Amino acid sequence: MALTSTSVSKAEKSYIQAGILANPPSRSDGRSLHDFRAIALETGVAPLANGSARLNIGRNPHDGTGGTEVLAAVKLEVENVEEGTGGVDGGRIICNVSCDVKDSSPSAYPNLSSGALDDLQHDYTDVINQTLSHPSLHPSNLGILPRKKSWLLSLDIVILADAGNVYDALFMAARAALWDTKVPRTRSIEYKAKKSVTTAKNASGGAGDMDVDEDTSSGFDTRKIAGAIDFELPDYWDEGEVLEGRDRWPVCVSMNMVLPTHFLDASPQEEASTSIRVLLMFSFLSPNQTTLQGMRMSGPGEIKLSGLKELIEEGEKYAKEIYSALTSKLKDEDIRRNQKARDRFVNRI
Amino acid sequence: MSSRIEILNAGGYRSDGRRQYELRTIAIDFSPQGSNPDGSATISHGLTQVSVSVYGPREAKMRSQTFHDRANINIELSIAPFSAGERRRRGKGDKRILELTQTLKSTFEPVIQTSLYPRAQIDIYVQVLQQDGGLLQACINATTLALVNAGIPMLDLVCAVTGGVHSTSALLDLTQLEENDLPNVTIAVMPRSGKIALVSMETRLHVDRFEEIFRLAGEAGTVIHSEMKRAVKEKTAKLVDAMQLGKGSAAPNAENDY
Repeated sequence: MALTSTSVSKAEKSYIQAGILANPPSRSDGRSLHDFRAIALETGVAPLANGSARLNIGRNPHDGTGGTEVLAAVKLEVENVEEGTGGVDGGRIICNVSCDVKDSSPSAYPNLSSGALDDLQHDYTDVINQTLSHPSLHPSNLGILPRKKSWLLSLDIVILADAGNVYDALFMAARAALWDTKVPRTRSIEYKAKKSVTTAKNASGGAGDMDVDEDTSSGFDTRKIAGAIDFELPDYWDEGEVLEGRDRWPVCVSMNMVLPTHFLDASPQEEASTSIRVLLMFSFLSPNQTTLQGMRMSGPGEIKLSGLKELIEEGEKYAKEIYSALTSKLKDEDIRRNQKARDRFVNRI
Repeated sequence: MSSRIEILNAGGYRSDGRRQYELRTIAIDFSPQGSNPDGSATISHGLTQVSVSVYGPREAKMRSQTFHDRANINIELSIAPFSAGERRRRGKGDKRILELTQTLKSTFEPVIQTSLYPRAQIDIYVQVLQQDGGLLQACINATTLALVNAGIPMLDLVCAVTGGVHSTSALLDLTQLEENDLPNVTIAVMPRSGKIALVSMETRLHVDRFEEIFRLAGEAGTVIHSEMKRAVKEKTAKLVDAMQLGKGSAAPNAENDY
């Protein structure tokens, strides 16, 4: 896993490490070890997507510059469920992370060649995709017609600026965009032929004198598939229903290790001066049921096995805080946007 | 699908309720995008939204790209995969992106006073967030504003607008729907000097109609110009106010200096 390419000198590195290990610990921006920078979030930023969110961690409150900025959007497409088309019954989820072209600014990705940038995008995509498209998180309402059509959910995340702690930002933005996603309502259509005399006779009379092709397998034989064969989009006042189980989407905590302690929400300089980082992805099914959806370690350092258990417990605590804060913000956003929609409706009358 | 939608109905209204020569709502935002740009701007023409960040003039990353007598302009453009109606990923080498980039570069190279910054580089990063017709127009307008915001000297503001013809009536500022069906042309003007910076046409347009559209687009350019100027002035006034605030009451007469 590529670490971001901010370069720090040996002296700078040891200064940052000493600050984190000091008692009381001191960081360059005055935060305590487990403090996050301010997070700004807005949903519904891309009107052409089915769900979207823009998230910024650590924006300067005075001039609105800086910070890690991430834009996530969900788009739904109808897919045929057939051999060879890639479609899966019940829908599938594909995630993709791309870094913006602003690669030569001081705090984003300086000195990165386009090859290295591709590698970095691939790393991000890999982590997000493996975590979010896991079957345990799959929403149940992505199917349209059983064994025929389903939604393909593609989540695209664009990193507009990197000022540290990209993974947490990616997961938060992804959660927000997926939370915001509305699946259009569909109604299945069925074409029913009139019951022919033959079948009636068959039912009452003896075994097949007419129905000879019953057992032959023909490519055009659609009788095996029961019920609906197509669907339509009913006209409805809202954009659709939310994804089932949207509460489950995980949050990520990056624990930056400077043994024996750890700290959260690292700036690029701090990221460059820690030798090991542990990413923990937690999903909260209910207030007291937590699952660890994923875990990554990056960097050349090592941690003791005994320390890991403790680390996960600590991580869960932080993740829970992030989760509850994020959820309440998302609910606020829901109210804000729905209120806006209602007001607009009222104004029109 | 689109054949069923009336481009221009009998009452003279278009599919989105606009009149023939009416432009879509323009929203201009100068808040910095990305990581500490020298200037940035986001413009929306209706549902088309483009955000541009400008870095520079600064030292070039690659010395070999520099010129001894003028600044090099480097434009990179990326289109968000969720920006259009249908999801599509375009890589860096995509022909469409290369073409757009080249068009932008040739539009702005003569307008920016590059000779003031020999051996420097000006990086312009264009990010397309939403597309609903008039992509090139939005890119050009956003770039102009970002350059202004970065304080890079230009000969004039470049204002672009799309025009099209439906049977014999000209339309301005086309949406995606109209763009798909109508012959259209994008024209960038420099209203102060009255010069044309770009004429770009990908469809066939009857030669008799061209003059009318050309004239209309020039007029629309001045409208967009005034909108841009208003936004820039507003932003500058805010900056001036902020500076006054910093100075406090120590220099009450400084107001007249600006």
